Amino acid sequence: MTDTTDFEAKQDIVEIAVERYKQGRLTRRGFLAALGALGVLPMLGDTAMAQPTEIVVVNWGGQAKDVLQEVLCDTYTEATGIPVVVDGSGPSAGKIRAMVESGAVVWDLCDSGAGSAIILEQQGITQPIDYDVVDKSKVLEGTAYNNGVGNYLYSYVLATNPKMLGGNVPQSWEDVWNVADFPGMRTFRKSVRGMLESATMAQGVPLAEVYEALGTEDGIQAAIDKFRQLRENIIVWGSGSESQNLFLQEEVAIGNIWSTRAHLLKDQMPQGTFNVSFNGGVIAPGIWVVPKDNPAGKDEVMKFIVHGQNPELQVKWLEMIGAGPINPEAAAMVPPELAPYNPSSPENLATQILYKDEWYAKNQTSAEELYVDALIN
Amino acid sequence: MTQITDNFRYWILIMPALAIMIIFYIYPVLGIWQISVTEPEAGFGNYVRMVDSSAVRTSFLITFRVAAITTVGCLILGYIVAYTIANFASRLTPLMLALVLLPFWVSVLIRSFSWIVLLGRSGLVNDTLRDMGFIDAPLRLMHNELGVLIAMIHVMLPFAILPMLANMRGISDTYVKAARGLGASEWTAFRSVYLPQTLPGVMSGVLLVFVLALGFYITPALLGGGRVLMISEYITYQIQEFLAWGLGSALSVALLIATALVLLIAARFVNLRSILLDRK
Repeated sequence: MTDTTDFEAKQDIVEIAVERYKQGRLTRRGFLAALGALGVLPMLGDTAMAQPTEIVVVNWGGQAKDVLQEVLCDTYTEATGIPVVVDGSGPSAGKIRAMVESGAVVWDLCDSGAGSAIILEQQGITQPIDYDVVDKSKVLEGTAYNNGVGNYLYSYVLATNPKMLGGNVPQSWEDVWNVADFPGMRTFRKSVRGMLESATMAQGVPLAEVYEALGTEDGIQAAIDKFRQLRENIIVWGSGSESQNLFLQEEVAIGNIWSTRAHLLKDQMPQGTFNVSFNGGVIAPGIWVVPKDNPAGKDEVMKFIVHGQNPELQVKWLEMIGAGPINPEAAAMVPPELAPYNPSSPENLATQILYKDEWYAKNQTSAEELYVDALIN
Repeated sequence: MTQITDNFRYWILIMPALAIMIIFYIYPVLGIWQISVTEPEAGFGNYVRMVDSSAVRTSFLITFRVAAITTVGCLILGYIVAYTIANFASRLTPLMLALVLLPFWVSVLIRSFSWIVLLGRSGLVNDTLRDMGFIDAPLRLMHNELGVLIAMIHVMLPFAILPMLANMRGISDTYVKAARGLGASEWTAFRSVYLPQTLPGVMSGVLLVFVLALGFYITPALLGGGRVLMISEYITYQIQEFLAWGLGSALSVALLIATALVLLIAARFVNLRSILLDRK
């Protein structure tokens, strides 16, 4: 999530290469060479074809790429002798689809999202998860789909700076909207994702009914109006690093930010100046999907997914970049000092809801415009 | 060999620049115009959506307001600087010119980031004021329109100073001396003799700053805190976040037309030809 690489551009070039290959203007060898030259397939040259048991796992790059390599992949290679390579080029739904349709699949396992997983399944681009091999009980409830299964999670959380607030810290989204008792600037994302939920909870809507309330025009309008009320106290963040900076520079006292960024901030901010509450948080799971006709074969990938469910490895993942364990068993193994920052600890899970992709597919575009209007008009 | 006509010679000379403009500017702009009426479907749907959207209307309003205030700020500050350099600082002129031009050596991005360091809650300005006992709580100097205006005036100032300075240096001081000799006060001599002669420089400075400010992106995005959403940032938002190329293109066409309208209106009041083309 934290990379300066221009994924958009790279993705585009890959899509062009795939397109060429499909039209027969690039040979298979040329296609792989092109991808290799782009750094899309690091360490994966012609050998990829010669060694079908190698597994290529794709995520979104940055530090997360190195951590995934170290925590899950290298340990798998140690245990089985099968090389696993992480490719950080960003497996967008469009790219996975282009690859599968071109018939030149080089990815085995992709870090996708719930929304993309559902769409890819409907389009017949991905393979079903074999739940005889992968244990459904080892992933958070609601993250086991036919063609996708949870791999880690992060949350939209309530972050605060107790020092700036004089020790009086907001405990809920209702408090966040209470400017009289909790003065100071707040930061929200420059998009409605994970934000409208908090504005809905601030109206006193119970956790379980948030998306129900947002299901109506009135519900959306009510959430938007909450932002209109609060806007004099709002600075928006566009990227994860921006939200981090706003806290570091003490520009804001309160914010709705990603738990992965909160994980970094707790170490960067001086003692007593940073606090995280998962009360009213929104959990966004990462979902593994397996493209059709993946080179390593379905069975090999399922074994790797099972390896990734190992709770100890998931705890390590949390320690390194704040990615929350998807396996409920992991919570008990999290060191006590880290537990408050674990989005999937039982205590934190109880106060959060699962991000609802279906809602966004239907309402996001219109809601975004209302949101911008509320902030500036 | 036939004689090359003058006309032909002119064309040969401007051909490289013209070719670059046509290939890399005019042609892509036409492409944008086309996208705005073809995506997601053919017709003027994007323009209808644009006019209907109160967010877009507000964004246009903010854009023109910020550009106008920036222009006024640059005009006042720039006029004083240009006047001083042209009339008083004969020995120091090279140094002062260098100081005006110095900011051009640093990218707009870096200059905007520097303002963040200066204007932040715990930035240099707030810390200094607090240490000197002027304020108790930090002032809100950025993440609002004030911050955007401060930084934009700073970035745009040379664009106002340079045309005014060029104009003022061409003005002979004999007119003012004559007026003074005929008994006019210093103020009257300035107002009725000097000022009218500087108007062409003022107008070209104003137009330059205003038109550039309309399309500004980096500074408002960094210092506006998301609430000073100028139209170019809104365009980026549409294209990058929502892949709404149609609406984004329609917005950029609207900005282009609005800018052209400003020039047209300006042309009614001042002689653009003399401002932009004829120089002494």
